[in-house]
This record gives sequence, C-alpha cells and structure tokens, in this order.
Amino acid sequence: MGVTVLQQYPVPENKTGTYVIELLTKRILALGASQQGQFLVDCESYLSHPQMGTTKTVHIFHNSEQPASVFSILDTGSKNIHVIADGLFDLLMMKLSQHYTSKKQTKIESKGPRFELGDFCIKLGSVTMNQSFKGILVEVEYRPCVTPNAVWGLLREFLQGFLGPSVLVQAPQHLVTRMNEIYTPIDTIYQYLEHFSAYRKITGMRTA
Amino acid sequence: MNNTTINVDQLNSALNSLRVLRSSVSHVFETLSNGLRADHGEDGKDKFLLELQELLNNVNINLRDLEQTVNGLPIPTAPFNLGTTTYLSQETTQDRQALYTQLVNSYKWTDKIHEYSSFAHTLLSQNSLKRSYINSGSTKRRGKLQSNHNVAPLLVDNVINNIDRSYSDMKITISRPFASNAVVQINLGHVLKAIVAFKGLLMEWVMVKGYGESMDLWAESRHHVFRKVTENAHAAMLHFYSPTLPELAVRSFMTWLHSYVNLFSEPCKRCGAHLHHTSLLPPAWRDFRTLEPFHDECKQ
Repeated sequence: MGVTVLQQYPVPENKTGTYVIELLTKRILALGASQQGQFLVDCESYLSHPQMGTTKTVHIFHNSEQPASVFSILDTGSKNIHVIADGLFDLLMMKLSQHYTSKKQTKIESKGPRFELGDFCIKLGSVTMNQSFKGILVEVEYRPCVTPNAVWGLLREFLQGFLGPSVLVQAPQHLVTRMNEIYTPIDTIYQYLEHFSAYRKITGMRTA
Repeated sequence: MNNTTINVDQLNSALNSLRVLRSSVSHVFETLSNGLRADHGEDGKDKFLLELQELLNNVNINLRDLEQTVNGLPIPTAPFNLGTTTYLSQETTQDRQALYTQLVNSYKWTDKIHEYSSFAHTLLSQNSLKRSYINSGSTKRRGKLQSNHNVAPLLVDNVINNIDRSYSDMKITISRPFASNAVVQINLGHVLKAIVAFKGLLMEWVMVKGYGESMDLWAESRHHVFRKVTENAHAAMLHFYSPTLPELAVRSFMTWLHSYVNLFSEPCKRCGAHLHHTSLLPPAWRDFRTLEPFHDECKQ
C-alpha cells in the first residue's frame, strides 16, 4: 500500500466529462502507462433516527482496490470514527435500518479506467450522483512509499506534470495533519469522503 | 643518444627537401608534356614560357634547400654496421629475398606491441586490482587475511552491532539461518528494508525491498524503484569490497545504504527533479563518496 493523492480535475466549460477522461487517458498512455481494468469507489450515507439524540451520519464506502473490505465512517459532527470490516457489514447495516436510514438520493460513486505506470497507479474517475455527472476525480498512488511526508514532493511533481499547470496541486486536507504517519487504505477513503461531501453540497457540476 | 636523435631530425628534413625537389621536377616535366592549354588563350606561347620559367625557378629554390640541408648533415665516420642484415642485399635467390618484407613486418609488429604494452601499463597502474591478494604483500599477512571468510560469529556480531548503534533510524538485526554465517536485516526508517548475506565478514548478497514487503533473500521487490536500488546496492557491494579490510568495507556499505533514507524526498542533484522523465523513477543512485542522490541516467 503506497501513498495516494486524490485530486479534483476541473471540467472546462462547454466540455463533457467523457472528453476530459479521454484527454487524460491520452496523456497517461503517452507517458507509457498500460490500462489495468476499471475501478469503482462508492459511498452511501445513513442518517440516525432523531430519537437517538443528535443526528449522526454513517458513511459506507466500498473500494474496488480492497474488494473484501467495507469502510465505514461515523460522523458525529465533532469527529470522525472509522471501522474497517469485511463484506458482511453491508448486511448488518440492513439490520440496523430502524436506527439508520439510507439517504438513497445521495449515493455517490467515482468510477473509470485504472492505469499502471512504473510504480504509479492512476485512476481517472467520473463522479456521478443519482446518475448525474458531477465532476472528475484523479487518484494517483505511488506504491513503494508509505509515508506521505517523504513522497509528497515527488507526487506533486508527477501530478503537476500530468494534469498541467492549470490545476493547483495541494496536499489533501486529510493528509496535512498526518504527514509523518504510515499511510493506510482508510486514508484514501477519508480523501474520497472530503471530495464527495463537497460534491453533494453543490448542485450541478463542480468546477473548482 | 641525444646526438642520434638530432641526426634523425636532420636526415628527415633532408629527405623531405629531396622529396619536394623531386615533385617540383616532375611537375616541370608534366607541364612540358602537356604543352599549350586552352586557358593560355591568344598569346599562349608567352604565358606558357612564363609558367615554365616559374616552375624552373621553384626547382632551383628546392635544389638550393636540399644542398643546404645535405651540407648540414654530419659525415658518417664509419660505414654503418648493419650486422648480418647486410648480407640480405647480396642474397640473389628469389625466394630468400622475401625475407626482407617479413623482417619489416615483424619490426612493425614489435613496435606496435611496445606501444600497446606501454598504454596497458599506464592504465593498469591507475586501477589497482584490490579484489585479489596480489597487492597485500607478504605471505605472513596472507595467513591472517584468509580468515576473513571464517571469523568467529561473535566478532561479526560485534562489528554489525557497532554499526547498528551509530544510526538511530537504521535498525539492524542479525539471524543465522545458514549455520554460522550471518544474514542481516536492515530496516531503514519507513523507506526500505534490505537483507544482506554474509560469509564471515564479507558481504555476499544484497536484496532491497519496500517497507511493506515480505523479506527473503532471493525474491525481487515488486516495485521498480527497489529493483533499481538492489542493482545499485550490488554495484556498491562490489565497489566497497576489500578482503584486506573487511570491517571498513561493511561500514562503508552501511553508510552508503543509510543515505537512502531520503530516497523519495530528495531530488536529483543534477537535474533537480524527483522523477526522471523517461524512467519515472526517483533518484535511486547514491554517489559512493559524496552520497548525493542522482538518477541512474544523470550520474555520469
């Protein structure tokens, strides 16, 4: 497991999502990458019943990179608590439907082609919520290194070169506080949560 | 010796002026035999005569030069002593006369051998062959040296533990899965792991892998960058190899390996970038002396 950075790619005006994906695919293939299947990250959020006190949200994530795991993040409003479980956790959530109700209309996912280039793994995801296109998320993983602090400069150089100078590459908010810690798959999920929450707040396409 | 070299120079210049004279004379005859040419035009006769006169003047000048240089030559005091080769010219049988060309060829050959061997000598004297015991001198020391393959495990442990103590971010653990020879695992920060097989105090094998990978001596890392580092570590192991001072070799190697602590964070000293534009690898080479990071492609 290496360090992953998730980056929003702005869709230019009058252009479609597929156009951007094709553009980025062309660039990544020109660098010498080979396509290695598809990927999918999805998120479904559940709200606690009002009689349980303050409303809490449980976000359930699946990531095709860790197909046997279910990631859940409990958002209490003040802090986030995560649990990583195996696939049965989905069934458990169904049992808990009396206490936690799913917000079906906010089910959001990012999916698209997955590329490998040397020690990098690049995923070009189109984000859709309720079948409506919301934007592009580019995920880049550098697999040999486990500490974000050591590899951030290298990742930024790669992202900047690949996405072009028009995109501002910044360290993800989630990683800033834990630059010296060892990176784990849940850190990727937290980054997706950050971006997905931003997408949900915006109606229509996210541009910046 | 000095006298003969001057002689040779003078002889050379005399021969040269002789050659110039010959060529100018042949030029005269050539022009004469060609006669009038189209470019001499209307009054070709006069022009031709003028040209001829100039050429003859040249011949005169060259002849004077030759006379001058010949006068400068010292008169040989005695006939040259050519040894038995003098009889070669008196040999009349046709098949034996071929000896002369062979003689010239063999002379050229020995001359070349002399030249090449002097080049080889200068080259070899720069690269001392330290991988062998040749330079180590007396036979008394040799008896001691050979024991580097077979030293007491305790001594090896001491050397390695000493190195371990001098680095806070490099953890070295010793195990002995193969009888008395040590296999050393090195954890360098959160960056890499290396496994080194020892034979006595001499390093025999190195394998470098990523932080999360399983350790074994033979399987290569799944990451390109660590395969490159392993390759370079092999080069370093051979570079630092020194049978006469094995402890120094181990210590130098460990110092070198320790410089990989900034493998991902330090850009290349030459091109200033993290990733090389074609290989997309971080600078996976460390200079042996300065320990500065370079890309493989940038290190020359």
